[in-house]
Amino acid sequence: MTHPHLGPPLEGEDEKSASRKNVAHLSPLVPQGDLLRGKREDEKPALRGKQTMAEKLLSRHNLAGTPVYAGDIIEARIDGAMCHYHAAEPMHDLALQAGFNDGLPRVWDPDRVFILLDHHQPTLNQAQADKNALIRHEVNRLGIKCFHDAEPGIAHQMMADYGLMRPGELVVGNDSHTISYGALNCGGAGITRADMFFVLLFGELWFQVPPTVKVVLDGKQPDYPIAKDIILYLAGKYGDDFAGSMSIEYAGALVPQLSIDSRMCLSAHGVEVGAKFAMFPFDEVTREFVKKRTDKPYEPVAADADAIYEKEIRLNVDEMPFVVAKPHQFGNVCPVGEVSGTRINQAQIGSCANGRFEDIESAARMLKGRKVAKGVRFLISPASQQVYLQCLKAGHVETLVEAGAQVITPGCGICQPKVGFLSDGEVCITATTRNFKGRKGSQQAEIYLGGPLTVAAAAVAGSIENPKEVFDEL
Amino acid sequence: MSFDLDKPIKGRVWKFGDSVETDAINPYYQYPTMEELKLHTLEAYRPEFPQEVKPGDILVAGRNFGCGSSRPGLVLREVGIAAIVVESVSRLFMRNSIARAMPIFMAPGITGIVNDGETLEVDYPKGIARNPATGKTVAIRAFPPLIERIVNAGGLLEFARQRYLAEKNV
Repeated sequence: MTHPHLGPPLEGEDEKSASRKNVAHLSPLVPQGDLLRGKREDEKPALRGKQTMAEKLLSRHNLAGTPVYAGDIIEARIDGAMCHYHAAEPMHDLALQAGFNDGLPRVWDPDRVFILLDHHQPTLNQAQADKNALIRHEVNRLGIKCFHDAEPGIAHQMMADYGLMRPGELVVGNDSHTISYGALNCGGAGITRADMFFVLLFGELWFQVPPTVKVVLDGKQPDYPIAKDIILYLAGKYGDDFAGSMSIEYAGALVPQLSIDSRMCLSAHGVEVGAKFAMFPFDEVTREFVKKRTDKPYEPVAADADAIYEKEIRLNVDEMPFVVAKPHQFGNVCPVGEVSGTRINQAQIGSCANGRFEDIESAARMLKGRKVAKGVRFLISPASQQVYLQCLKAGHVETLVEAGAQVITPGCGICQPKVGFLSDGEVCITATTRNFKGRKGSQQAEIYLGGPLTVAAAAVAGSIENPKEVFDEL
Repeated sequence: MSFDLDKPIKGRVWKFGDSVETDAINPYYQYPTMEELKLHTLEAYRPEFPQEVKPGDILVAGRNFGCGSSRPGLVLREVGIAAIVVESVSRLFMRNSIARAMPIFMAPGITGIVNDGETLEVDYPKGIARNPATGKTVAIRAFPPLIERIVNAGGLLEFARQRYLAEKNV
């Protein structure tokens, strides 16, 4: 127990042993990977010692200082906390509920709290403006130094753009897509608002060490992004909770070929298949990316060669078709050909899943010399100002606007009922995070998810089609 | 607001399927206040739910309940749901429920023993959920001691307050 300025942890050593006993007695019906899952029967003490990436990561951050394994409940030291638009009102309300009448009394370390205003930027109404004003006040009061205020963009992309999270760290955020930091070999995990309240006060949080599913990707990266197709394909084949409460470790011959943009898509979508972490190994691609953004030291985390995995699934992307998720769930997946001819009213590329340079670049490349189909609203939202600038300098924004697309302000709005609402009976295909009923307004609208190429093809054709049939250069 | 883990719960069942998402439970983008949310929660799946749910009712659902965002399901407590009993739950919905001391229970097999509109008994101390009409039961999974302590304290906020005050007084 060596944490510098905090008191006793949530859970004493004696209780920890008790909890282990308790866990071991759970029913055999316990589904794999769930919270409070029992230990594997084959988990003999002799096998302990070899660790997955998640076990290594959480051992490193375990306040008790002992190595930990899947199923253990621990208190972890937090390296960074990403707090976005909940920074003010919800945190203040939680403080009041907890009996702090003047609001949150402190943050544990003002250098480790990152406030980025993404969901409400620029503000669309008075209430949002008032909330943002309250956030500014709270940031000042609490002495938080990292505050991206007058800058639209998605917090997760800005965390990467500005080097605010690094390989081997444990970084939490009160947004489910915080898991995307796994792309950089960072233990990014979404937490809840109440969890964030606890983290802001103490810099610690309880976790159950997750079992790990190893996702082995083989094959060749084509000259367009396929990360979205990969994760949709896996969700369709193995279910939308195939990694429920588990950690995903991506591995295989495709991984070194994947850009950070593609890795962030795959990691962000970890939450769509239920995961706690979705981590990539640290490699030269990561090193180059991080080097340009931060000079702070870091220590990557790697799995042991003979770590124990809950399961391993493999995919050769050379054999994978373009796929879409049909309304209204992420796992409702089929090859794009099965729904070809479905007329669309709106197409979108953006979000923390697909608002990155390579997504927009591939769409621009396909749309050069082509036109968006008459009547189709094609919305593109870069993930951050940095991504936007990169696209502008490369000429992609010009290409897209000439083709008839609308480029909208970076931020989360494109993925929510905030920008580009759908009306009853309308159909949208989108390279964003989710296609739940009502996600873009009307409960009677239909939302398909696809990769940026599939979306661009639909925008040109006016209907969902196989990109290879729309773009003959593919 | 807290609830007592040791007190058995009995109520009428509202049954839902797999992968019910927080967008449907808590559609706060469109209905930002709790009063509005209460009129729209879960209408994406059962339009009659917000109108007809009664205090003391129990929500039963399939696997992956509460998937999607990190939004809490407090609205379910506000409309009177006394317990949520599911095959499995998304980790963020589980974290939210623990942190806010919401009565949620994982009971693999639950969807096989009870139908919509029937009565269900949930007895956490005994570790079973039971359909009194048929006598069929399934096991409820126990929480580890730390989680029980958080829930019994009334949630993570109260837990945080107690710890903060204890440190101040050292």
